[in-house]
Amino acid sequence: MSKKYILGVFDDEATLVDAFEKLKDKGVMPVEVYTPYPVHEILEGMPIKTRITHAAFFYGLFAALGILGFLTYAASISWPLHYGGKPFNAFPSFIVVTIVATILAITLLTLFTFSARAKIFPGKKAEIFHEQATDDKFVMVFDEAGIANDSESVKSILTEHGKIE
Amino acid sequence: MEDRLTLSNKFKMLTYALMGVGVVSFALGFVFDAERTWANYLLNNYYFVSLAIGAAFFAAIQYITQSGWSAMFKRVPEAMVAYLPFAAVFFLILYFGMHSVFEWTHHEVVSHDHILQHKSPYLNVPFFFARVVVFFAAWIILSKVLRKFSLKEDEVGGMLYFEKSEFYSKIFIFVLALSFSLFSVDMLMSLEPHWFSTMFAGRSFMAGVLHASSIIALIVIILSKQGKFPLLNHSHLHDFTRYIFMSSIVWGYFNFAEFMLIWYGNIPEETSYFVHRWHGVYKILFFANIVINWGIPFLVLMPRKSSRSKLFMIPVIILLMIGQYTELYYIIWPATVHEAKFGLLEIGTFLGYAGLFSWVVGTTLTKASLVPKNHPYLEESIQHHF
Repeated sequence: MSKKYILGVFDDEATLVDAFEKLKDKGVMPVEVYTPYPVHEILEGMPIKTRITHAAFFYGLFAALGILGFLTYAASISWPLHYGGKPFNAFPSFIVVTIVATILAITLLTLFTFSARAKIFPGKKAEIFHEQATDDKFVMVFDEAGIANDSESVKSILTEHGKIE
Repeated sequence: MEDRLTLSNKFKMLTYALMGVGVVSFALGFVFDAERTWANYLLNNYYFVSLAIGAAFFAAIQYITQSGWSAMFKRVPEAMVAYLPFAAVFFLILYFGMHSVFEWTHHEVVSHDHILQHKSPYLNVPFFFARVVVFFAAWIILSKVLRKFSLKEDEVGGMLYFEKSEFYSKIFIFVLALSFSLFSVDMLMSLEPHWFSTMFAGRSFMAGVLHASSIIALIVIILSKQGKFPLLNHSHLHDFTRYIFMSSIVWGYFNFAEFMLIWYGNIPEETSYFVHRWHGVYKILFFANIVINWGIPFLVLMPRKSSRSKLFMIPVIILLMIGQYTELYYIIWPATVHEAKFGLLEIGTFLGYAGLFSWVVGTTLTKASLVPKNHPYLEESIQHHF
């Protein structure tokens, strides 16, 4: 890694949130925050908002329309078959298949989208900023170049509540 | 936090006026078109009893799951359950209108009908009313017990009454599951005594839960506009929406499963129900029912922003109130009145019941502190945030 980072390591949620709020007032935003569980203040305070829910909705919409369209095409246009005295376009019976296949499509497509956006792929070497970030510590990551102007004050706030590594 | 609700005179006058409209509509209805009036009577009674039962279910679920978020609002479902004694009286009065709505009460019909003779050990007038009495007695006694515990808890505090309430809620939920299933079969499915569907009870129950949870949310929103519940926040609204959203999906699932299996099985004695609900106005109602009760709530309440905003919730809830009426109209009318008549009689009787229901809920809310005291989860409810 060529970039240099400042890490703030905290023992519990309260000190982390406290430091986060103080830094936010100064206009300094961490690049990433690693927590053992979701912390609401951080989730709402971070400037990046996820758009994956919108993506998932449209995947679902197009998957449902596509699957319904395919079933209708297959059953009534391409290969009409009589079975059980039903009309060729046996619409109600397509719905169950559509629901199940739509769930599968949403799951896979959202997984691929997320992996692509987060640049994760099987066999990738994990970027671990701090050994205990995957354990019980709360870790805030700062890009040193981005906070060059007031790195001293950032450091002082971080040491006040946790420690710098 | 002694914050009691006081009813304004305007509200009282409004409910009295609505009840007056209802009484006049019924009086005129019985003079001019008795059969249609009895159908209205059954529809409105079932509509509001399903709200009360849904609210009882909602309250019981909160105890059983030990939910924290809803502790602040538990007086609202309790107030809705207080409608049950009124409903009990109304359902007993239905005795005088039995012949107008229930085909199986006519002796000359039953004597020529082998299937109805076969069903007569269950579908006969004395046993029917025995069931009504037993069900209402069970519901009223259990809900009174729970209400008593809830009020005692305000005075005494501690965990004792919470644990008792939880235990009785568990009993209540089993009693409700069995009795309300049979009740919906008695009141709605037996309108067409030759037809049967195992999905019917589940669908009716879910419809009750769906509309009751939306009415609970509506009452809470109205009260918060009056300056009550100052601690209501977006997370509470989001949780109310989750109940509406969830039960709407379950209702949609049951409704579709019932229809699709009958459509696919294509057995004449099952499809007969849908065949004459597939012509004219009823066909529109069939689709309107799905769109109003599932389609629109599903799409509108899905985004996070709209599911925590009163602006989106209120129209959806009002639509759901119409939705429950649509569903019951679609179930009751083809079996009793046959022609799809809708006019001042329907509107008037519905307004009458709405007035009575609002009056009962309003007066019950004034009888105790609006926000419960000493509830073990009260603090969690106030702090609720996600």
